[in-house]
Amino acid sequence: MNFWIWFPILLLAATFLPRYGLLTLYKDWRSAKEREQLEDALKHLLDREGQGRHASPESLAGTLNLPRAKITRLIADMESQGLLETHGSQLHLTAEGTRWAMHVVRAHRLWERYLADEARMPLNKIHDAAQKREHSFTEAQLNDLDAALGHPTHDPHGDPIPTREGKMPSAESQPITARQDEGPVRIVHIEDEPAIAYEQILAAGLRLGQVIRIIERTPGRIVLSDGETEYRLAPAVAANVGVATLPESEIAKTNAVPLADLSQDQRAEIVMLDDSVQGFTRRRFLDLGLTPGATIHPELGNFFGDPRAYRVRGTLIALRKDQAARIWVRPV
Amino acid sequence: MQHTTIQPNDILAKAETLRETLSTSFRDEMVKSLYSEAEKIAKRAVKTVQEKKYDLDQKIDRLVTSPITGLPIMLILLGIVIWLTVSGANVASEAIANVLFGIGDGGRALFNQIGMPWWITGFLWDGVYLGLAWVVSVMLPPMAIFFPAFTFLEDLGYLPRVAFNLDWLFKKAGAHGKQSLTMAMGFGCNAAGVVATRVIDSPRERLIAILTNNFVPCNGRFPTLIMLATVFVAAAFPPALTSFVAAGAVVGVVLIGVAFTFLMSWLLSRTVLKGEASAFTLELPPYRRPNVTRILYTSLIDRTIFVLWRAMQTAAPAGAIIWILANIHLGDSNLARMIADWLNPFGLLLGLDGVILLAYIIAIPANEIVVPTMMMVYMGAGMMVDGPGTSAGIYDLLVNGHGWTMLTAVNLMLFALLHNPCATTIITIYKETKSYKWAAVSVLITLGTAFLVTLLTASFAHFMGWV
Repeated sequence: MNFWIWFPILLLAATFLPRYGLLTLYKDWRSAKEREQLEDALKHLLDREGQGRHASPESLAGTLNLPRAKITRLIADMESQGLLETHGSQLHLTAEGTRWAMHVVRAHRLWERYLADEARMPLNKIHDAAQKREHSFTEAQLNDLDAALGHPTHDPHGDPIPTREGKMPSAESQPITARQDEGPVRIVHIEDEPAIAYEQILAAGLRLGQVIRIIERTPGRIVLSDGETEYRLAPAVAANVGVATLPESEIAKTNAVPLADLSQDQRAEIVMLDDSVQGFTRRRFLDLGLTPGATIHPELGNFFGDPRAYRVRGTLIALRKDQAARIWVRPV
Repeated sequence: MQHTTIQPNDILAKAETLRETLSTSFRDEMVKSLYSEAEKIAKRAVKTVQEKKYDLDQKIDRLVTSPITGLPIMLILLGIVIWLTVSGANVASEAIANVLFGIGDGGRALFNQIGMPWWITGFLWDGVYLGLAWVVSVMLPPMAIFFPAFTFLEDLGYLPRVAFNLDWLFKKAGAHGKQSLTMAMGFGCNAAGVVATRVIDSPRERLIAILTNNFVPCNGRFPTLIMLATVFVAAAFPPALTSFVAAGAVVGVVLIGVAFTFLMSWLLSRTVLKGEASAFTLELPPYRRPNVTRILYTSLIDRTIFVLWRAMQTAAPAGAIIWILANIHLGDSNLARMIADWLNPFGLLLGLDGVILLAYIIAIPANEIVVPTMMMVYMGAGMMVDGPGTSAGIYDLLVNGHGWTMLTAVNLMLFALLHNPCATTIITIYKETKSYKWAAVSVLITLGTAFLVTLLTASFAHFMGWV
């Protein structure tokens, strides 16, 4: 057959083929893109409501990085779907909108949990990876994931994960300025608005999950310490740092040392496995008998320095340094 | 009497509310209580009488993991196992081949006597049967020596120490120390090496070990490497050095394979396998006196027979196809010759030739029949043949008869090292991963590497004007 007969036919087929045609692929891509935008908007609204403030078209445009015309269309679209209501320039989520937003947040945080615990992806990589995947989970998939991960309550950054009923567990956070005792306390929240205060807190070197004590409190400044470094903040800035009382396990950790720091043949008792050890690794550790209360000592070194073998419960188990650093022990 | 019926859903709802009240460490507590219970039972039932053996274990451990003695012990043991395999297998292979080919000759004679058409005789005896006989005679002896030797070290408790010693290197590549063991197993057979990755309990590291196992040359590829090293590389040196140079060339090729294993592991762990689950733990069991019955059972039944059976299933049809290609004549050429001619330009681009590519395509079932297939086409025979008996004969046939150069020999060694896994291994990868995708990936990365590397060396050699 002549080229000029079969080439156009092939071209038409490639474009209009029902399932794999270019047109269908493009439409699928468009609708996925639109869903992403809509869900990001829902998340923004939920986020704002969690902070006790209202979202506006301006704040939405800033977060989604879209021109105003598109934002107006998006808002109108969401309103017609019954996901939000507008009151002047304020945007409110409806019950349906909240439910959907919770679903997306749950997907994001559960997936972060999976990436951190099972895939052992570095913590600074998981947010972006979860940002991509959060839009493609169904309710049933999320419930399966939730069960497979053992119904975690918090994501790896310390934020609560919504329940399957779509309720957000309350975060037990209070401003550090409201604490009267000296701690120790754990930083569970750093408010990112106003940006100037946020920058100052980050520049000082404070981060989520850090365990700190309040060592000085005057009207002019608040001094915090994590045992090594001291952090000075103005009280107005410090009010943006949210803290919570440490769980008992964390207090136990404060006078324990990492297993990796033990010298050869030094006997110790396991205090606890670090909270950052989750999922697959934690199960393996427990299976091997690395349980709180067990006695352990490093028995065999390696000519490369890593891994080392430890004697626990009569067996010899080799662990890499980064893993042994996350088992807390007390020398006996 | 009143009955209150409890609905399953009520129980589930109750469990749901109770779960929120659990402390996060309840799993730890659960395992802890299981262990203390087990300890209580063990204390009642088990009496410890001796502490002495424990000390001996420690002494051995210090010896095999020390910087001065650890590495040499490891290399010497690996060297002994491979030397035993290569030298012992030669003798046994010849004996088995004599018997099996004898049976083939007898069968052919019988068929001729009762007046079977030539093509039935040829198809069955020179095709299917010859393929089977060749694979069995070349494959069985090395495996029957290598696997028991390897299993002996395993049963002794030595192998986990090797993983312990080398883990540092594998960690750099994003892999697991136990991959050193599956690689060592790959020397015996890549399919067995893939099965052996079951000892790696972390999914990501296990996949890495599966996908890269083929970069370790197996028993089936060693004869090809040794033949090329002896005929080509060593021939360029004085006769006194021949065997050293040949051995050195083979070791060099193996080291290149190891380098590719690390490189590919590193790439995989940072790209496609980034999101797979991962963890490292390694148990170092106490040393035991090896149990001979168990060794023979695991190595011969679980490993040798298992692999051989899978290889035979693919070798029989391959033998048939090879015979058909060699015996369908079109004009004054046969099908094999025509395909080889058609593949030739591509082969030359890679520094190989069409016949080599054809041999690799139809010998996918088992690497053992690559060289016999090549010889068959070069010599214009109607069935797989051994080729000329001497080094000089092979050299003359290939170089003067078919335009081989040093580049062809070197690139064939590289191609033999890097090319796609044999059919048995591919099937095993599919069975172990339960995924067509990973089986396909294993073929693509190895074949891609082989094409790329040979293309580069060939282009470089042409550019420098060496050939």
